[in-house]
Amino acid sequence: MRRFVVFALLVALVVGLGPLVADAQSTLAEIKKRDKLIVGVKTDFPPFGSIDAAGKNVGFDVEVAYEFAKAMLGDPNKIELVSVTSGNRIPYLQSGKIDIIIATVTVTDERKQVVEFSDPYFLSGSLLLVPKASTVKGLDDLAGKTVAVVQGAIQDKDVEQLQPKANRIKFGKVSEAVLAVKGGRADAYAHDDVLVLTLVKENADVKAVGKPFMPRPYGIAVRKGDTDFIKWVNAELAKMKQDGTYDRLWKKYFADVESNLVKP
Amino acid sequence: MTPAGAGFSWSAIARGLPYLLEGAGLTIMISAVAMVVAAVLGLALAALSQAPGRLARRLVAAYVEIFRNTPLLIQIFIVYFGLPQLGLKLSPFLSGLSALVFYAAAYNTEIFRAGLEAVPRGQLEAARSLGLSAPATLRWITVPQALRISFPALGNNLVSLVKNSSLVSTIGMVELMFVANDISFNNFRTFEIYGTTAVIYVLLVLGLTRLLRAAERRLLRAA
Repeated sequence: MRRFVVFALLVALVVGLGPLVADAQSTLAEIKKRDKLIVGVKTDFPPFGSIDAAGKNVGFDVEVAYEFAKAMLGDPNKIELVSVTSGNRIPYLQSGKIDIIIATVTVTDERKQVVEFSDPYFLSGSLLLVPKASTVKGLDDLAGKTVAVVQGAIQDKDVEQLQPKANRIKFGKVSEAVLAVKGGRADAYAHDDVLVLTLVKENADVKAVGKPFMPRPYGIAVRKGDTDFIKWVNAELAKMKQDGTYDRLWKKYFADVESNLVKP
Repeated sequence: MTPAGAGFSWSAIARGLPYLLEGAGLTIMISAVAMVVAAVLGLALAALSQAPGRLARRLVAAYVEIFRNTPLLIQIFIVYFGLPQLGLKLSPFLSGLSALVFYAAAYNTEIFRAGLEAVPRGQLEAARSLGLSAPATLRWITVPQALRISFPALGNNLVSLVKNSSLVSTIGMVELMFVANDISFNNFRTFEIYGTTAVIYVLLVLGLTRLLRAAERRLLRAA
């Protein structure tokens, strides 16, 4: 019995301390004081965030992060990139491990309740990745089949809604979902169109099928209530669109899949 | 101003608990099966390592070194993602189960081997001089004593097994850890959900240690 009391007291203590963590108010000031911007980016999501052969972070989101560090602190290298996944990126932000998420976050109503979103900077639908020999042509063919999705990604709910007869199997990372398709563990893998198109370019044994479904915007996210910071982000995004930086990055990363994309 | 995500939410726990308990059901099931199989396999391999001749001993040693010296996560991935490429496609449950069994059995083998070797030689010699055959000596003299000696260490390993079973969440098995991720990735109440999950693991392990203590008392009484 005493064991339980001690345990309960410990829980109560930690619960009591919870609200002290992650004060949303002063992120902008805190970054300037620290003289370093800490950004959550993806490392398994080309062409937005991945690791190149030399071990460097590359991708559209990564370059936006460098632009932000340059604009805020005068040096693109005053930055720390933290690898996040669809599942853990919002918890990372909430717990103060990162200042900002630039990691293909689709804007949804649920997420709007817990983070502050910037203006949209990309528009993405979803596509299916299937083995080269597959006869699957779209969501309609997936009744009774197994569909891989990434935990925390919007496709988990989309597939549940659009093809309730499919069996969803969930993985933590993009690479594991791709492996599942290649190894015959899943008949298809549903994720953002631009990711699927890029994966198909890099993997000869799979193909992209279907018409992009449920297109929705990506937003950059900061902690809920941090309006100063999100205003700064929006101003910076507008500037990047005006001075041609956005177009340059678009061409660099999306030129070869552009015909399938919707430009915001 | 406090961010909207802050504060403690009991309702998040209330909403998540039924799903977490459902996940705990699979955790209990896969752990229980793995425990029994790993204990039997471990004892069998430990006995085999006592057999005369070097070959058996070396094979057992090789098995132990391979499975004890690689991370469990890699073993799970090899069985689940790797073996299908060689034509062996086990279900997710069997993939997770077999990785857990081989990993835990490697430790059990060492635990039982230590127990077998700790039985005084005189016991063996006495049994043989009374006319017991080698298998009968093993069954009636060595193993019962070795079990008693090994029991505390075996219990530790079984507790580890319950906690290690959380790794099968990576291959889409809907057990306790998987459900915890799934809920918190959607409602973002990480503290409440992982905290509740931790409490459930504590309760599971407390239940297991009680069972083990009862079993140990029984073993001692039988002596």
